[in-house]
Amino acid sequence: MLKITDLHVSINGTEILKGLTLEIKAGEVHAIMGPNGAGKSTLASVLAGKEDYEVTSGTITFEDQDLLEMSIEERAREGVFLAFQYPVEIPGVSNVNFLKTAINEIREHKGLPALSAKDFLTLVKEKSALVALDASLASRAVNEGFSGGEKKRNEIFQMAMLEPKLAVLDETDSGLDIDALRIVAGGVNALKSKENATLVITHYQRLLDYIIPDFVHVLYDGKIVKTGGKELALELEEKGYDWIKTAE
Amino acid sequence: MSGTLIDFCKQLEPTQLKLPSALLQTATDGVEFQHHFPTTRDEAWKYTRLGRVASLHVSALKFNQTAQPLPSSDYIDVIFEQERWHCSEPTEGLHISFAGALDSTDWNACSLDGHVQHINALTAQGGVSIRVDAHVSLSKPIRIIHRIQGENKALILHHQLVLGSNSNTQLEVFFEGDSEGTYANVLFDFFIGPGADLHTDMLQQTKGTHYGFHTQRIYQQKDSTFALQTLSANTHFTRNEIEVFSQEEGTHTQLYGAFIGRETNHIDNHTYVHHMAPNCTSDENYKGVLSDKATGVFNGKVKVYQDAQKINAYQSNKNILLSDQATINAKPELEIYADDVKCSHGSTTGQLDQQALFFLRARGISEAKATDMLIKGFMAEIVGAVKSSHIQEALHTLLD
Repeated sequence: MLKITDLHVSINGTEILKGLTLEIKAGEVHAIMGPNGAGKSTLASVLAGKEDYEVTSGTITFEDQDLLEMSIEERAREGVFLAFQYPVEIPGVSNVNFLKTAINEIREHKGLPALSAKDFLTLVKEKSALVALDASLASRAVNEGFSGGEKKRNEIFQMAMLEPKLAVLDETDSGLDIDALRIVAGGVNALKSKENATLVITHYQRLLDYIIPDFVHVLYDGKIVKTGGKELALELEEKGYDWIKTAE
Repeated sequence: MSGTLIDFCKQLEPTQLKLPSALLQTATDGVEFQHHFPTTRDEAWKYTRLGRVASLHVSALKFNQTAQPLPSSDYIDVIFEQERWHCSEPTEGLHISFAGALDSTDWNACSLDGHVQHINALTAQGGVSIRVDAHVSLSKPIRIIHRIQGENKALILHHQLVLGSNSNTQLEVFFEGDSEGTYANVLFDFFIGPGADLHTDMLQQTKGTHYGFHTQRIYQQKDSTFALQTLSANTHFTRNEIEVFSQEEGTHTQLYGAFIGRETNHIDNHTYVHHMAPNCTSDENYKGVLSDKATGVFNGKVKVYQDAQKINAYQSNKNILLSDQATINAKPELEIYADDVKCSHGSTTGQLDQQALFFLRARGISEAKATDMLIKGFMAEIVGAVKSSHIQEALHTLLD
């Protein structure tokens, strides 16, 4: 589904990713762990198409298409979803209205008719229940006045509504208490299928107790330096990232 | 070289209104003393050039005393179009007449300030006089529609609205039409009686090279409420001057405004709230979105007089510039002579929130649509304060 080959990325002339290679197949859950500054969030931003980053070399293909050639919105319409580390507040734009626009633009891209108001509301009810998001939050302005936990649950709610092929969760666990973490992880697990894939980016092993990865990669200094199964996360938790640094 | 103020008045017609001689003298003296149109050296016109206005060749639109009747509808309509005016049958407790039919004593409470109002006093060809009796709550909104068409015409009107004590009125005002080289100078006097409530939504959406001068002078008595939403959309040249005199205790004033400019549009908003009495509140909120080479002006002034204690005055102006060549000149001003008041003012100008734009696009929404959504969201506070469904719909279309 996703194939990243020898990816080099800079921001303001500083190289952050220095030859990252990664392949994700449908049905898989991958976790990327690593110390602060390793390039985890840069990878998430580059996948979503954030324009501040410059890809200096390497390739990314998504479903055999050149992802780097696509605009931000094309990537989303093709099925790439980024759950933001810091969800944006948008005063005056209602959550429901924005999601309806998003869903219908994605459907139009796929040659499907627009969703009726009734079907849309049924979907909102069903999917907000998945992450225990209060229905009143769905109709409020996007993330405005939401608590940290509500913002993250709102991200997963959007993911549930948009049904992406590849979900990239950028530090979705940061700032969450254990109950919120369980709800968020429960939502992600419920959306898992043979057709889609998940890339979990996290600093801590904690989230991986709830979202069980098939592969764990350690990102250090812009490269994946180690890949293993879920037990690698536990090893990292125990030994810390210094263990990787010294192993280099 | 452009003409003097006297030349400008001479190409128009002498006023058809019976203003008191003292008021006419003020206007004559003003025009003669000032002689030329103000330049950018004048504080009140620092950001608005009048050269093109001074060189306009226009002829005045004249009106009959008698209105053409309109069929009954959900509104009380007053329409000024070409050289005709139309009027619906007033409901009980509402009196509508031609402003030219008013006696000079009916204008005694008026005051004038600046060359725009002086020109109006000397050359107004009509206007509507609306009176709402005490304790009357109008069941239908009143709509005043100005339709400006043709070339080189001047629409000069002086409206007067007198709202009886504890009355309740909803007013909608429209400026529309497509014209070339036209000039409008439309002055409203609002006299708001004790405990009366007036809600006004005004939409300016004239097309073509139209120069619109809109003046509202509001005189508020004890415990009255006045709310005005001024919306200017893609107009070639607009100058709004709003002056509120909170004369007695317990008044509330709300001035909201939204201005949207593109191409070389110029939209200037000047507001001045006089808090002359204690225990009053005012809330001002103006938002502007400018693209291309459009320019905007926000100059909001609040003056709290010495004996006007316990005033709560809030003023905010926020602008978004969508292009490098769009300009905003913002100047919030506070002048406070009382010592027990709460006043705040602020102005911010920036670009569209790039993080929010990225977020919306990352959910599959096109850049153009995401931009529209963010602008609509930005304007939501102002649009939400509008009661007129026509104006709300017009704004939704304009913002799309």
